[in-house]
Amino acid sequence: MIRLDHLTKRYGDRAAVDDLTLELRPGAVTGFLGPNGAGKSTTMRMILGLDAPSSGRALIGGRPYHELEHPLRTVGALLDARAVHPGRSGRAHLLAMARGAGIPKARVARVLELVGLGEAAGKRAGALSLGMSQRLGIAGALLGDPEVLMFDEPVNGLDPDGVRWVRRLMRSLAAEGRTVFVSSHLMSEMQLTADHLVVIGKGRLIADAPLAEVLATPSVLVRSPHAGDLADLLTAQGVSVERRGENELVATGATLERIGDLAHEAGVRLHELSPREASLEQAYQELTATSVEYGAGGTR
Amino acid sequence: MRNALGSPLGRAVAAEWVKLWSVRSTWLCLASAVAATVLGGLTLGAAQATEALREGAAGSRVVVTGPMISATAFAQYAVITLAMLMVTSEYASGSIRSTLQVVPIRGRMLAAKALVTAPVLFTAGIVAGGAGALVTYLVLSVETFGGAAAFPPGQAAADLLRLGVFCALTGVLTVGVSAAVRGSAGALTVMFMLTLGLPLLLVMTGSQAAVDASMRLPTFAGLAFMESADNLTGGPIPYPAGEGLAWLAGWTALALLAGLVVLRRRDA
Repeated sequence: MIRLDHLTKRYGDRAAVDDLTLELRPGAVTGFLGPNGAGKSTTMRMILGLDAPSSGRALIGGRPYHELEHPLRTVGALLDARAVHPGRSGRAHLLAMARGAGIPKARVARVLELVGLGEAAGKRAGALSLGMSQRLGIAGALLGDPEVLMFDEPVNGLDPDGVRWVRRLMRSLAAEGRTVFVSSHLMSEMQLTADHLVVIGKGRLIADAPLAEVLATPSVLVRSPHAGDLADLLTAQGVSVERRGENELVATGATLERIGDLAHEAGVRLHELSPREASLEQAYQELTATSVEYGAGGTR
Repeated sequence: MRNALGSPLGRAVAAEWVKLWSVRSTWLCLASAVAATVLGGLTLGAAQATEALREGAAGSRVVVTGPMISATAFAQYAVITLAMLMVTSEYASGSIRSTLQVVPIRGRMLAAKALVTAPVLFTAGIVAGGAGALVTYLVLSVETFGGAAAFPPGQAAADLLRLGVFCALTGVLTVGVSAAVRGSAGALTVMFMLTLGLPLLLVMTGSQAAVDASMRLPTFAGLAFMESADNLTGGPIPYPAGEGLAWLAGWTALALLAGLVVLRRRDA
């Protein structure tokens, strides 16, 4: 549905988005990950025709955004929840969008109900909490009942109930066959929401793969007074082992049960045998380690 | 009408219409335009009447729409602010991005803002000028002024119509400038220089060429178009009304073009 074709954005000699080529599939939530300044928002703005690419193209159903006959009914997007005139009510903001897109007024009330904004829709947008603003922004994205939805950090400022609500919404939108593209810096959230991941760093594509493939392989933490003997034993069995200090090791490539059995057969005493969850956080850190734009503690 | 509203431009206009009337600043600007015209026009009208009385010119009367036209040199800033905020408030809040998501063709977005600004400010000009003329007529009709006010319907109607056109064009000019500049402070500065600062500077140089040039800038061109007899220049603008309209329309077209070029070149 959405295709990026060597998409590039340069500011002077710095590339904010560098030769990005990928395709976003319908019926799935695609998580968009990358450190701050990696080019996520710029990419989304180029898809929406707000920023012009320096080279390359972003196509929606084969056409650039400004050539879409009914843009709002094709792509719905939440870029910045605070980007509403502070003196205008949320309802009027949505009504103006609906008028501009030829969407019936009744749809405004419908999406307000859908996001649970209700009464607050009559308040000045400037008086809304960040969480309420996010809901208003999501209502705007849903207004045209579009096939493609893009959300830039949609759970910022939401309480735990709101976060769960957004997660369910994304899942159900994808289940309806829509293309859902969502950026976030919350790895745990992405791990629960996304089917597919696109990871970028310094504007370049680092990974474009199903969630399961990006996730670090599950491993087992073993603590034993005879960790050295056990490491030799496991290595001989084809299990890859990483020593962590004198009494600890992390084994990858065998189930927890198998490691327990092997240790038992060899008469090695174990003090701990615990699974280490596959973690996106960990995988992400390994992927982006070399491309963190604004890493903390960097030398200046 | 249904057809017009169903077209892409019609829908863009409908969106701008909703946005204009859903913020308080629109009403504040309109109220300011009326207040500035009434107070400014009344003051100038009273001054004219007093002068007429002092000179004892029998039968000399103040046509009450005249002072309203003179007052536009100042009252136009309420009109300019309204039109400016239609553009700059969107850049300030970031809502320009949602506007351009709905209407991705930038020229169409700019056209929609101009098409909403023009009739609203045309009406505002007539209402403000009409209210000012009425108040001035009532005040100058009292005995103190010796009934120095005249309200000839034909001329008054023509004056008010031209006042409306002036406000509409000035508003559209402001929309163009604001789209080119984007920020409120910058847009207001450019508008102030174009409408008052620059013409006054040129007049102050005393050089005939500079004075002639200042007369072609939007404010004096507008006063020429409205056939203002008594204004900042101390007399009628020395060229025909039609030429004034042409200059004003030319500046407006130039500003729209500048706005369009910037809109299309720069990222939102």
